[in-house]
Amino acid sequence: MVAQHELLTKLWTRFPDVLRHPEEYVKDQIVVTVDREALPEVTAYAVNSLGARFVISVATDMREKTGDFRFSHVVAFDKQHTFLVLQCHVPPEDPMVKSVTPMVPAAGWAEREARDLLGIIPVGHPDPRRLVLPDDFPEGVHPLRREYRYNERFASAPQNAPPRREAPEGTTVVPLGPFYPTLEEPAYFRLFLDGEKVVGCDYRGFYNHRAIEKLGDSELNYNQIPFVAQQICGICGQAHSCAYCEAVERACGIDVPMRAKYIRSILLELERIHSHLLWVGLAGHILGFDTVLMQVWRIREPVMWLMERITGNRKHYSSNLPGGVRFDIDQDAAEDIRRVLDKVEAEFKAVADAVAVDTTLMVRLKGVGILTEENARAYGAVGPTARGSNVPIDVRVDHPYAAYAELGVQIQYQDGCDCWARTMVRILEVFESIRLVRKALDDMPGGPVMAKIESELPSGRIGLCSVEAARGEAHHYVLTGDDNRPYRWRVRAPTYPNLQAVPCMIQGEQLADVPISIGSYDPCFSCTERVETIDVNTNQIRIYTRRELEEMSRRKSWLKE
Amino acid sequence: MFKAKFKEAVICFKAGRVTLPYPFQPSEVPPKFRGRIEFDARKCIGCGGCARVCPPRCIVIEDIGELARITFHLDRCIQCARCYEVCPEKAIWPTDKFETATTDKSDLKSEMLIWMSSCQRCGRCFETDNAIDKFRTVRWRGRGPGEESKHGIYPAGPPIELAKPEPLVREEAA
Repeated sequence: MVAQHELLTKLWTRFPDVLRHPEEYVKDQIVVTVDREALPEVTAYAVNSLGARFVISVATDMREKTGDFRFSHVVAFDKQHTFLVLQCHVPPEDPMVKSVTPMVPAAGWAEREARDLLGIIPVGHPDPRRLVLPDDFPEGVHPLRREYRYNERFASAPQNAPPRREAPEGTTVVPLGPFYPTLEEPAYFRLFLDGEKVVGCDYRGFYNHRAIEKLGDSELNYNQIPFVAQQICGICGQAHSCAYCEAVERACGIDVPMRAKYIRSILLELERIHSHLLWVGLAGHILGFDTVLMQVWRIREPVMWLMERITGNRKHYSSNLPGGVRFDIDQDAAEDIRRVLDKVEAEFKAVADAVAVDTTLMVRLKGVGILTEENARAYGAVGPTARGSNVPIDVRVDHPYAAYAELGVQIQYQDGCDCWARTMVRILEVFESIRLVRKALDDMPGGPVMAKIESELPSGRIGLCSVEAARGEAHHYVLTGDDNRPYRWRVRAPTYPNLQAVPCMIQGEQLADVPISIGSYDPCFSCTERVETIDVNTNQIRIYTRRELEEMSRRKSWLKE
Repeated sequence: MFKAKFKEAVICFKAGRVTLPYPFQPSEVPPKFRGRIEFDARKCIGCGGCARVCPPRCIVIEDIGELARITFHLDRCIQCARCYEVCPEKAIWPTDKFETATTDKSDLKSEMLIWMSSCQRCGRCFETDNAIDKFRTVRWRGRGPGEESKHGIYPAGPPIELAKPEPLVREEAA
């Protein structure tokens, strides 16, 4: 508490005139209204001088309520366990804010996304190209504004494709994607090579933006969103649904039973175990060392079966609702978890011991994909990516949620700043997670698993929650609304900040090391259903629709028969 | 170098063969497994609770004259079993079926038609037969000429021409 007041005092003495209406109706979460002109300075002061970490920008169309847009930067003070929301009002006739990106590089994508989706223009942004919207989306249509419906379709406008970054003089452009070679996911890197050395890159992603936020504030209700939130990611689904539920619970002051919190923690840690095991296998696969892939995934499979037994599904446990969890973990399930964990621990220990002294892996991983501590902090890297670069941040400790305040997490971090350090962090975290699950099973109190919610949830409250997913911090921002649904639901997945750090991570790398460098922060893109072909003779571009692709693939399978 | 390789070789040999004989032998699922949903038109009272809670809008309920039509778009189903949780009659439940892959999306669509009872005074439909049958009452309900005394359960209903409902998400540009 003292540390928080110190922070506020510092902010107030530095900016006495521009900060208004501080509110702290949720513990450890301060919402301050700032003058629009002063927003970048205040944010930059918080990040660069007070040591805050930039989390996300949230733009909201508040025209129905207050007649203007609201634009806010969320920053986290990890040591002081506090979130600070700096928000300003943006008049609709002049929708622009001064960009904070020149001072805080981590804000780059967040501001571009606000420009795309709500039309709030960041003035002075160093790279104001289109980020989220498709290449052929009409200019001037901002789908997150409330006048557009979630299923509205627009005529194609191919002239609006964002310009590609010019390759530096004397370099060769090598495309990596749009179908990323080792992870089978859509991401498109254009690498600028000087010989075999990478001197720069350009990224285009968001090929399958699913407009989940739009659904959340126009179609779904409070109880439906957790199940859609868990579809955000195929691996950290529990983390996203848990983050959303905790954000709503914090905003509305719902008191969740202790047993439900412990069950959330157990499921989250089991999810981290199988996700990290998945990654260790994938890292081996990217390097062409498939023994690691086979053996680690063999060890992982019993965890998936365990999840199927205790939750009813391998993935997408559908366990969370605002107020608690839907099912209990009984004595038999607890015994089951202990038995599986004993086996996984023993088997993974053998693999970890072997991998830790394997010189083949060391040669490929050590000194590769260097992300320096300064860059990790500047781009707001999270999760094992940050912890491998000597940045000891872990949301489970810094902003405790579920039952982590009681469980006591030990942060695992390394100072190698390379792929090897990130691998070691993940291996150590598997054992830490096993310890946490055991402790949670021992300490879990009895009682109900769902809180009784009797009245309507209050409107106009802000709730923030970060959850340490396997890949890093998944952050959810909920502004509650009427009609039994949030007015604004903002999701920031962990890959979002980590991906922005890629250009400086692969700078100066050999081309052959790029897949493992990008793979080493465990990226999580999404799936696409669209293919573009270019006829090299005529430069004609043809885009195949899903139907055409389906027909083609069927024709092929018929021919085989 | 060789030490690590030796350790890895030991791990591989110790594991032995782990591949399951799945497509040739059936695969068991645990008791809690949430597979493809099934439903019973004789139990459903048409309250629409499942349609209200379904997060991916996989269940759609419409009133068409004398019928309540409940459509299950199982290709959208995310197997959360919220419908089972809220159903007061347990007329819908998850099964252990998981082999739902198909080349034809319409395989995954199923419909349930439930008769609605009409009010004797105004003639408008107000509640499903199944719901009213739950009350222990002596009653008479007409269903047009020749069917005066027929009452009770009509699981599928007669085939009638129905207007095609608007799809949830339009696939083609307008």
